Amino acid sequence: MAVREARLPKNFHQAVEDWRDTFLPDYSFLLESWDKHFPKEPRFKLCAYREMGVCGEVECGAKKGQPKATKPSELDEEQARHLLGAIRAQASTEFGSIQQHRLTLARAQEEEEQVWVLRMMAEELRHGYQMLHLLVDDDWSCQTEQSSADMVEEILSMQTGSHVLGAFNIDFDSFVDNIVFCGLIDRVGKYQLAMQKISAYLPMAESMPQMLREEAFHLATGVVPMRRWMTKAAEGEVFVTVDMLQKVLNKWLPRGLEMFGDERGGGSNVRMGLKPMKNAEAQSQYYDEVAKLVDDLNMRYVRTKLPEASIGEAREVVDRLKQEGDSGTEVRGIAADELLHMPHGDFFRRRGVPAFRMVGFHGETYDDHGEYMQHLRKMLPESYFASSDFRDYSQTLNEVVAGELEAEVAARRMPALRRVAGSCPCSKSVRWVRDEPMSEAPAKSVDERPVESAAS
Amino acid sequence: MSSNSEIRIRQLDTVDIGDVVTIDEKITQHYRPGVWEARIGYYMRRDPDAALVAIGDGVVVGFMLGEVRAGEFGLEEPTGWIEVLGVDPDYQGGGVGRALAEAMLRHFRNQGAKTVRTLVDETMDDIAGFFGSLGFEPSTLRPFAMTL
Repeated sequence: MAVREARLPKNFHQAVEDWRDTFLPDYSFLLESWDKHFPKEPRFKLCAYREMGVCGEVECGAKKGQPKATKPSELDEEQARHLLGAIRAQASTEFGSIQQHRLTLARAQEEEEQVWVLRMMAEELRHGYQMLHLLVDDDWSCQTEQSSADMVEEILSMQTGSHVLGAFNIDFDSFVDNIVFCGLIDRVGKYQLAMQKISAYLPMAESMPQMLREEAFHLATGVVPMRRWMTKAAEGEVFVTVDMLQKVLNKWLPRGLEMFGDERGGGSNVRMGLKPMKNAEAQSQYYDEVAKLVDDLNMRYVRTKLPEASIGEAREVVDRLKQEGDSGTEVRGIAADELLHMPHGDFFRRRGVPAFRMVGFHGETYDDHGEYMQHLRKMLPESYFASSDFRDYSQTLNEVVAGELEAEVAARRMPALRRVAGSCPCSKSVRWVRDEPMSEAPAKSVDERPVESAAS
Repeated sequence: MSSNSEIRIRQLDTVDIGDVVTIDEKITQHYRPGVWEARIGYYMRRDPDAALVAIGDGVVVGFMLGEVRAGEFGLEEPTGWIEVLGVDPDYQGGGVGRALAEAMLRHFRNQGAKTVRTLVDETMDDIAGFFGSLGFEPSTLRPFAMTL
């Protein structure tokens, strides 16, 4: 299929390059290293790609079979509102993930892993550029009074802590975060991009194929090092232990599950032809896929630890230890806690149906805030406890447990989207900030809750 | 394979690496996870749409890796290369390879390739027969090798 390249107008393109110079200062190192690590591969280019020849008819929902919209004014008001929110959220996540990755990029122990992450960051920048292209190339005046310049400005001015989606507001503590984030959070991105590939808005659908191709590599950037780390852990190396990987997995999986949006929602997107699956269905598939990844990592560990074991014997060891959980049982000299285990889907949740229910790793529930904090202390990376993100969660949970705050209100208090006017009467600026308590906010329907459903 | 099971083709995902390693081990009797991690990392960068797996009975039963390249061996036009094919021995003869190849050829056509090429060792009659059944014919491009 033919692919059309597009560039933002010069001033916007320059703004993205300036952003890159600030938040991706190693970009020049990537270009210098390109031929060493990616020989014969096309060099990275900052531009938008639109794939021609994608399906031109709405593929699901009430308007199935009708021509896809080619400009915002052809969408109905509800569609346009949802779509504009999704594009902004997606742009935010793309830029947001770069801000997270840069914090710990230099701590990589292997040059290859570092350069892979660096390339992934550059491609995330391109994904953000792609979303800005959709905002700037099309006329959204039917939906917002904001100019293109204002929309670009607000997205490029976001920092970790003010991004739309919760997972992009959490600082990384080590390079293990970089890798696990690629393996888990970019996997959510794969789902979102795959679903948006059928978008009833043609420019969105045309934007997805190249982004999906790049996303496949981003997943490899996470999964391949995780597999290698499991091998080295089985060989007795101490740099990245299974315990460390488990705790980082526990940190990110709940955020990944929440990125699909409230489990009761997503129907509007299906009805409007913007996505083919409701939130709960996509979330469930994602959970199963991560479970398969965990199983695969365990097989890698056991095969390394028991080199004489056949595939079937290794499978039996993994399955038995999985059943045993953390009972302390050993099978052929391997203890259950030497392997990775999947946290329960309701564990450490702060959005969606299980938000603030204090569900433990195995699905058990807690009544006491202090006991639950002790449980989390055992299950999450120690360095994460010193973050403002975790402190805010703990304080909010305490209010919920004390009956001072409804769980639904608390869920909305977690980092989300908020538009505020500038303080100066002549100012037209807007920005996105961390939400303040919204106890007085009117109740919203499930599909209208803060968008937590786009990432890559 | 159950007699009424259908083969479904989808893009390879990194969670399939273990399945690919297992199929390779069943075929070659060698456990080579590092080889496949590196290879799949390569194809995920180059052309993930040309990294395919076949699903039968709900599990990965085959895989095929390829890409479209131009400018090699004097071949200037975009050429689809089928580089790796693996089918679980328990599922061989059930149309898995054909389903993978047909999906791959569709992808190559969409990428603008007019020709598809592969290399088969002449001792592997079954593989040669498989590609022959798909319409592949011996090419004038001959492989040469020397020992160093």
